[in-house]
Amino acid sequence: MHFHMNRKQRKKKAGSSPRTRRGKLVSAGYLLPSAIGVLLFFVLPFMIVIYYSVVDNPISGQFVFLDNFIMVFNNSAFKQAAVNTLTFSAVSVPLAVVLSLFLAMMLESKMPFKSQFRTFFLSPMMVPIASVVLIWQVLFHYNGMMNEIIGLFGADKVDWLNSSYAQVVIVVLFLWKNLGYNMILFMAALSSIPKDIIEVAVLESAKSYQIFWHIKLRYMSSTILFVTIMSLINSFKVFREIYLLKGEYPYPTMYMLQHFMNNTFGRLDYQKMSAAAIMMAVVMVIIIGILFLTENHFGKDVEG
Amino acid sequence: MRRNIMRDAMNKFMKKFIRFKNIIFLFAMLFILSAVLSGCGKGDGAGDERSEYVYVSEYVEMDMECDYISGLTSSGDDVFLSVSEWDEETGFNTNYLYRYNMNENKAVRLSLEMPENSSISGMAPGTDGSLIMIVNCNTFEMDEEGNVADSKSTIEIWNVSMEDGTLLGSEDVTGLVAGKSDYAYIQHFCVDGQGNLYLSDGDNCIHIIDKEFKKVCDIDAGDWINNMASSKEGDVYMTSYGSEGLQLQKVDLTGKKIGDAVAGIPGGYGNQSYYTGVSSSLLHSNSDGVSRVDVGTGTVEKLFDWLDVDINSDYVNYVGELSDGRLWAITRNYEISGSATSELVFFTRKPSSEVPAKEEILYGTMWIGSDVKRNIIDFNKKNQTYRIKVKEYGNDDYQTGLAQFNADLTTGNCPDIIGLDSLDYSLYANKGVFEDLYPYMEKSGMDRKDFLGNVLEAYEVNGKLYGIIPYFQISTCMAKTSLVGERSGWTLTEMLDFVDEHEAENVFDYGSRSTIFYYCIYNNIDEFINWETGECSFDGEGFIRTLEFAAQFPEEYDYSGERDEGISSKLRSEKILLMQSSISSVQEFQMMNGLFGEKISFVGYPNNEKQGNLIQPAGGSMALSAKSKNKDGAWEFMQTMLSKEYQDSLVSDHGGWGFPVRRESLEKQFEQDMKAEYSEDESGKKVEQPKTTWGWDDFEMEIYAATPEEVEAVMELITSANKIGGNVDEQLTNIITEEAEPFFKGQKSAADVAQIIQNRIQIYVNENR
Amino acid sequence: MKPGSDKNSGSQGAALELWHKQVLRKKKIKNARTLVRICLATMAAACFAVLFLMPIVLTITNSFMSASEISANYGQVFATTDSGGKMYISEKVNLKFIPDMVSFGQYITVLLKSPEYLLKFWNSVILVVPIVVFQLLVAAGAAFGFTRYRGRVKEMIFFIYIILMLMPYQVTLVPNYLVSQWLHVLDTNWAIWLPGIFSPFAVYLLTKYMRRIPVSMMEAAQIDGAGEWQIFRKICMPLCKGAMCSIAILIFIDYWNMVEQPLILLSDAEKHPLSVFLSKINAGEIGLAFAVATIYMVPPILVFLYGEDYLVEGITYQGGIKG
Repeated sequence: MHFHMNRKQRKKKAGSSPRTRRGKLVSAGYLLPSAIGVLLFFVLPFMIVIYYSVVDNPISGQFVFLDNFIMVFNNSAFKQAAVNTLTFSAVSVPLAVVLSLFLAMMLESKMPFKSQFRTFFLSPMMVPIASVVLIWQVLFHYNGMMNEIIGLFGADKVDWLNSSYAQVVIVVLFLWKNLGYNMILFMAALSSIPKDIIEVAVLESAKSYQIFWHIKLRYMSSTILFVTIMSLINSFKVFREIYLLKGEYPYPTMYMLQHFMNNTFGRLDYQKMSAAAIMMAVVMVIIIGILFLTENHFGKDVEG
Repeated sequence: MRRNIMRDAMNKFMKKFIRFKNIIFLFAMLFILSAVLSGCGKGDGAGDERSEYVYVSEYVEMDMECDYISGLTSSGDDVFLSVSEWDEETGFNTNYLYRYNMNENKAVRLSLEMPENSSISGMAPGTDGSLIMIVNCNTFEMDEEGNVADSKSTIEIWNVSMEDGTLLGSEDVTGLVAGKSDYAYIQHFCVDGQGNLYLSDGDNCIHIIDKEFKKVCDIDAGDWINNMASSKEGDVYMTSYGSEGLQLQKVDLTGKKIGDAVAGIPGGYGNQSYYTGVSSSLLHSNSDGVSRVDVGTGTVEKLFDWLDVDINSDYVNYVGELSDGRLWAITRNYEISGSATSELVFFTRKPSSEVPAKEEILYGTMWIGSDVKRNIIDFNKKNQTYRIKVKEYGNDDYQTGLAQFNADLTTGNCPDIIGLDSLDYSLYANKGVFEDLYPYMEKSGMDRKDFLGNVLEAYEVNGKLYGIIPYFQISTCMAKTSLVGERSGWTLTEMLDFVDEHEAENVFDYGSRSTIFYYCIYNNIDEFINWETGECSFDGEGFIRTLEFAAQFPEEYDYSGERDEGISSKLRSEKILLMQSSISSVQEFQMMNGLFGEKISFVGYPNNEKQGNLIQPAGGSMALSAKSKNKDGAWEFMQTMLSKEYQDSLVSDHGGWGFPVRRESLEKQFEQDMKAEYSEDESGKKVEQPKTTWGWDDFEMEIYAATPEEVEAVMELITSANKIGGNVDEQLTNIITEEAEPFFKGQKSAADVAQIIQNRIQIYVNENR
Repeated sequence: MKPGSDKNSGSQGAALELWHKQVLRKKKIKNARTLVRICLATMAAACFAVLFLMPIVLTITNSFMSASEISANYGQVFATTDSGGKMYISEKVNLKFIPDMVSFGQYITVLLKSPEYLLKFWNSVILVVPIVVFQLLVAAGAAFGFTRYRGRVKEMIFFIYIILMLMPYQVTLVPNYLVSQWLHVLDTNWAIWLPGIFSPFAVYLLTKYMRRIPVSMMEAAQIDGAGEWQIFRKICMPLCKGAMCSIAILIFIDYWNMVEQPLILLSDAEKHPLSVFLSKINAGEIGLAFAVATIYMVPPILVFLYGEDYLVEGITYQGGIKG
């Protein structure tokens, strides 16, 4: 919707006056410090990453063009990591969005201790990593509490961290850590939907699911995109917990792209790390591009 | 809100002002940016540039024999040493007191006579210009048979003239310094500015006595007193180990307590000492270097690094400062051959412009070994063009150090020479980190045929030599030939079958699960990984059988129990079957044969090629960085370790610490080993006498000249080894240790844990292909 | 384009009043059902809350155990081999919430006996606070730049910002090392501060908020003669105050928990923040870990409690004047 609106605005001001030109210049000036910093500490490093991705190794630095990309793409560990990361993000990000929306709706309804609950749900953000790792180890280890609990129901022991269940464990860990913040975002968005529109809908005997689907969701499309992007960022951060739980080489189902990058970095295979990073960046550009397009589409609807 | 802004905006004055503010804001932002960018440059400027002043060392041979310095104290530029000398005539050690004039490098033996059975526990200059000594006198009462029936120990304080050593007075203070234990013993001694004497005993108590030998007080230090030192200001400090390492605390006489730890001082562990300063409160010396410490302000000024003044910190005995600002140190230098000499070194501060600059060559390593350190110091002393600097990466934490090392490798800060100890050699070799050394050897006129081919090849990749091993040991495993047959290697299955066949208490002496893992798996991990195809076989029969085999062993060997039988006796009676050890000399080989009591076979570590003996660098190994900007200089140092002189210096008549890589030197060593030593017996007949005695646990044997057969067997053992040992990636051992445990605890089956290990290691293998 | 809700409400005021009454009547009928629903929701929320709160409660209660009790309890979870590998947890471990005996031993050691923890705590503060302050400052400018006079180029740059923000740290860490070295800031706090200050994260968030300020508002001000600085200072900043606070909280918590950057960029372990220590806890240190962790949690909790209202307010705004 921003693009949309912007275009209109620009048309109106076609043939920009000297005043506007100066304004443009000044506003660019505001951008300058950040742009220089980002150039120096983010873009330049990324250029270095690109350089690494086309040389045979960081020490001898022989140009090999796309060999690294081909090698990494054919590397079975990379494939495994890519599939795991994609699956994890594909499962956990939508879940995080949906569940936090559900939590937000729940807290939206009339209920006591609202603000307390809100604080409680946000608390995992502050827990130091040592406590998190301790609790997750204790819960999901082979001799851990989870197995004891399912043992009560007569189930066999499951090696949570050394089997295909490992993905489930990290999805739960991710949700636990991030639901609270997403929920806050949604609560804010929900509370800012104009009440009158909903009331009109109620009077017109709209079903509650219709209200939710046609009004609330539409109004929150921008928030949903925002939450999705934040969740995506945070889904990459779950690596730290996995790393502390199982080290550099966990059970294959928990092996993420970050493991691949972290380990190849540790073994001086910068060329592999960089090639993987660039491929990841490309995929991310595509995903985010799609997200933006989707949001624009929905945004227009609401405005219409 | 809108109206509000309008009102503001209409104000013309404000408009101008606001535009002005606009510019200010931009400037502020740019200022932050530039401050941020420029301010940081200051951070490490000092480290890069050559500092304005440097200390230059000057080595002086001491004007006296001093085999063992039992005490030392300085007063001005005079140093007083109590030295115990071996008296050929009496056959006793006698203590002598010397006054050593540092400015003239002249020693005077003072006339002080020490009574028999007495020793000096401490010395310090008194406030009245005399030397105060703490003397421990023992008197023994003998019974009729000449055994000691009763002994009495007294502690006396002597006042001695600094001029000629005459005894000016003495006082028995045994009663004053009586501690908790019956046996009075003074550990450390200091005198403060008022002339009070501080004597610390073995029970962490500091006894303070005034000039007139009256007791002032006792202070209980609580912690073990590491040392005491008096400062230039006349205060007495003690050091002890706290949570942060060595801490310095003032002995507070007015408060009759030990003060708080002085903040800002180096701390840490390792060898370190404090000495009275001349231009600052104290001098501090540790394994890094020497610093001036100002206790009042808590400032520490680093003067120099030991390595920069060509001193091996391991050999430093005493450090002091002279009135003209020079510093001195007394070192005791040990040679590889075992002999030692004392040396006096002066350090003079000079502007760096006056000191001829040498080209610096960086030696980077995780930890520096003592041999390499010695070689670097020797090289730096002699070489006029180059100077080796050392960077130790693994000082704090291995992982962090490794990350730093890797970062340096890629950012062009790479060391010129890389110490290979505890680095994964093949990882770096495959990335072109190292320079091929063969061309350099050729340039220096070294023929590779002059060196042991298999040892060179161990660091060879595709015909390029990436590292040198000056001398080495062979890491192997031994068994009776009567049990294993004539063989020089075996496969894992053969080994397991062998152990199954022979019922023994244990395979190894002190054999535990990790011993088995190291023997069967870690030392030959490539047997389980096919790097060509990327297949692993940790779920295969060999690994599962090893797991089951290892399960029979205790997790940790229980060392607490009484050891009723020694290793030799166990091996001979076949209660244990194998013994892992490294062989570093022909004499050690002879001893091992004796230990088993019969012929032995060197089966080594199990692998499919049945070649399981490993080469182990004995005095470090190093490589030349391909990125070095001064390869010739770096090689100049490296080649010294392959040179005839150095290699020959490794030849020793007591076996040596390893085999020299140079063939000629190795042969010289063998000749030495085969040379018999003779003495005349009572009848005047020439009899071969033992060269030396070797022992291991319950076994001891005299070593005579080796036979040509024995030397040949050693040579065979040496040439059979073709791989470097001890290079298993900790990632792998960590995975195996963690995941095998539930099997040992009986919670999972061997096949299950093998599968998990297989899965996790497979990722590792895939990633690194 | 949807105008602000405040304007909207006036036009439909009369009709609303009628509807309101009808709604109220309907609500009465539903009251009983609603009550049940509220009860259920509360119970569900309570269940969630217990799960979410458990770690904090555990950390705090365990900080009052004696070091030996902790070691006995969780020692094997943090046990490592000589080479730093993990040890298998071979026996049952239960989370223990209530200490056998309340002990302040951990705190006494951490606060009084071993100054290294407080030193590390101070390191954390020194590293994080400048990042939060200056990242916000830089980001405020940048967000304003992105909001005003948007064009194709700016949109492109903004998209690049988003991509850079999503890069995992492993990717840029080595190059960052190179850049730090090139700027001669390696092993100094600047090596952490600089990439932190210029992180695109806050720029992204703040731009998102700032762009929701109706353009009409800024245009009106402009027509009235306000300069860019005035628009920035008098319109954008006040309206984004809540957002700034909530972003500050986020940045603070993010950097307060940083582990990898200091490990690579600061070779001197004495400069490392407390978070590095907490991520490397082993069996030997677990006895103090909970007190350290509790102390470590104090600043985030304080920041959080102080800024919580802003957090909601900041975000509430986003929907409020959605453009």
